[in-house]
Amino acid sequence: MSSNIKVVTRHGNSLKDKLYLPAIYDGVKVTFKHLFDNVTDMNAIDTLEYPEEQPTDITSRYRGLHRLTHRADDTIACVACFMCATACPSNCIFIEAVDREDGVDEKMPKSFFIDTLECVFCGYCVEACPCDAIRMDTGIFSLTGNSREDFVMGKEQLLSHKGAFGEEVSCART
Amino acid sequence: MSTFSIVVAVVSLILGALLALLTIPVLVWLERRIASLIQDRLGPNRTNIFGFRLGGVVQSFADVVKLLLKEEYYPSHINMGRWLFMLAPVITFVAALLAFMVIPFADTLMINGEALRVQALPVGFSLLWYLAIGAIGVLGVIFGGWLSHNKYALLGAARAGSMVISYELALGLSALAFVVTYDSVDFNAMVQWQSGVFWGVVPAWGILVQPVAAIILIVALFAETNRNPFTVAEGESEIVAGYMTEHTAMKFAMYFMGEYVAMNTASAVIITMIFGGYQLPWVSTETMLTHFSTFALALMVAIPLVVAVLIRWMRKNNTVRPTVSTDGGRGFETKVLSIALVVMTLFLEAVLLYLGFFAENLVANTIAVALFQVAVFVVKLMLFNIFFIIIRWTVPRFRYDQVQHLGWYYLLPLSLFNLLVTAIIVVGVTS
Ligand code: SF4
Ligand code: SF4
Repeated sequence: MSSNIKVVTRHGNSLKDKLYLPAIYDGVKVTFKHLFDNVTDMNAIDTLEYPEEQPTDITSRYRGLHRLTHRADDTIACVACFMCATACPSNCIFIEAVDREDGVDEKMPKSFFIDTLECVFCGYCVEACPCDAIRMDTGIFSLTGNSREDFVMGKEQLLSHKGAFGEEVSCART
Repeated sequence: MSTFSIVVAVVSLILGALLALLTIPVLVWLERRIASLIQDRLGPNRTNIFGFRLGGVVQSFADVVKLLLKEEYYPSHINMGRWLFMLAPVITFVAALLAFMVIPFADTLMINGEALRVQALPVGFSLLWYLAIGAIGVLGVIFGGWLSHNKYALLGAARAGSMVISYELALGLSALAFVVTYDSVDFNAMVQWQSGVFWGVVPAWGILVQPVAAIILIVALFAETNRNPFTVAEGESEIVAGYMTEHTAMKFAMYFMGEYVAMNTASAVIITMIFGGYQLPWVSTETMLTHFSTFALALMVAIPLVVAVLIRWMRKNNTVRPTVSTDGGRGFETKVLSIALVVMTLFLEAVLLYLGFFAENLVANTIAVALFQVAVFVVKLMLFNIFFIIIRWTVPRFRYDQVQHLGWYYLLPLSLFNLLVTAIIVVGVTS
């Protein structure tokens, strides 16, 4: 026999293990302790009483709702290159481009819709964007609405979202 | 037939129906709350009616409304068997419900020389009734799974069948050991037997007289109710939802509620057969009746203590954290419930005071003792239901061949051997 073979001792063959009831007793001891502790002091349970208590531990890398960033002169940073729409695995970004007349850049989106009901919040659009024009650093994690249309975010709304972590303007288009 | 006997029969029937049906929402809620408390969560605690959440129990009623309003959906491929497909959950539910009806809630009332059973179905062959009707429940599971024409449902039904053959024998044999010990198939006679003591001090509860049979009975009844660790027929991690995969809306709810009724019934049978039923240890019905004023005094001390603990618990725990600005009406609820509890305590105290020290009315005393026994029964029932729930959230599920192995290689020989020993001892003692 090769010396590389390691013989693993099998557990569960002793009478105590085979009876199974001592193990159940041990398990119940653990669960009952949790139950008892929590029943006697409910407010000590380490959960968030959402929505009265809001989470405080959302990091800057958290992928929240999208936003479209601005340039330093407060105009839209997006150049309607369709990179994000191409990268999107859910095909939920709908862009229509127009020529940009103010001389800042060549192109800009006329309309820019994200259907957040289809979106899987993968962040590929953010990765794909060459202009740092789309970001998911809003820290918004809860999205509610009364109809399906409420969940289709338009350009104005996406531009109105604020970054939650200090970086306001696009880092690639100034 | 006197008026008393009719009243007692009707009241017991209503009591049986209430105890079986009204415990369903409570048990569903208990299951969810206990599960979450075990896992350090809070569980459903927000649904309320006019600010009254009662710890969240209102959630169960909201769920029932939701299930009632859900779309009825039938898979198109069950053409011929539709009526049976609809009937299957009803079979499971009704079988569990009927089986509950033979549980005695209090000792036989002796009123004006008449013996009145406090049992929804006043029959003397209760254990046989339970074994017969309780075993029908699995037919609903098998029909439902088979008729769904669905692989997972069929697997679930097959597993349910395999379960039956693994636990039924052990269940019957361990029950037989109790029949030999108590010399009766009547639940009420069993409880009366258990209200005695042996060796002078130890209460003659089934679990102490017949420990092996008691453990086999508990294990077998866990299997019969399809609860963890024996949820093989449902097996949600392997076969979607097992036999109820295709059942929607109220049909699903029937299976779901049937499971809880079955659990309740199993708890009732277990406490009746091995935990002294509606009796407290050491005090039999006669003791309570002959020393009624002592008994009333003891209750008058005990009730305020329990209520005080309850109110203190409520004031501590029916609150929100200091960091949360609104308490959502919890303070108001605590106040109203505390007042209600205090008023109820005062009322009970007054009644007990009158009965115990001023009225010398044997009928009224008998009824008071019976009501007390009902209360003891309900408390024991709930405690054992909680035990069922804790077990569910503690142990993982057995594979179904393991269940068979357990049933045939361990439980069956053990229960046979136990029956043999019991029979020898009983014959030796009586002859
Ligand atoms: S997060 Fe992913 S799915 Fe959502 S819009 Fe961006 S690329 Fe599409
Ligand atoms: S958001 Fe970025 S990737 Fe998408 S169209 Fe605008 S510039 Fe291109």
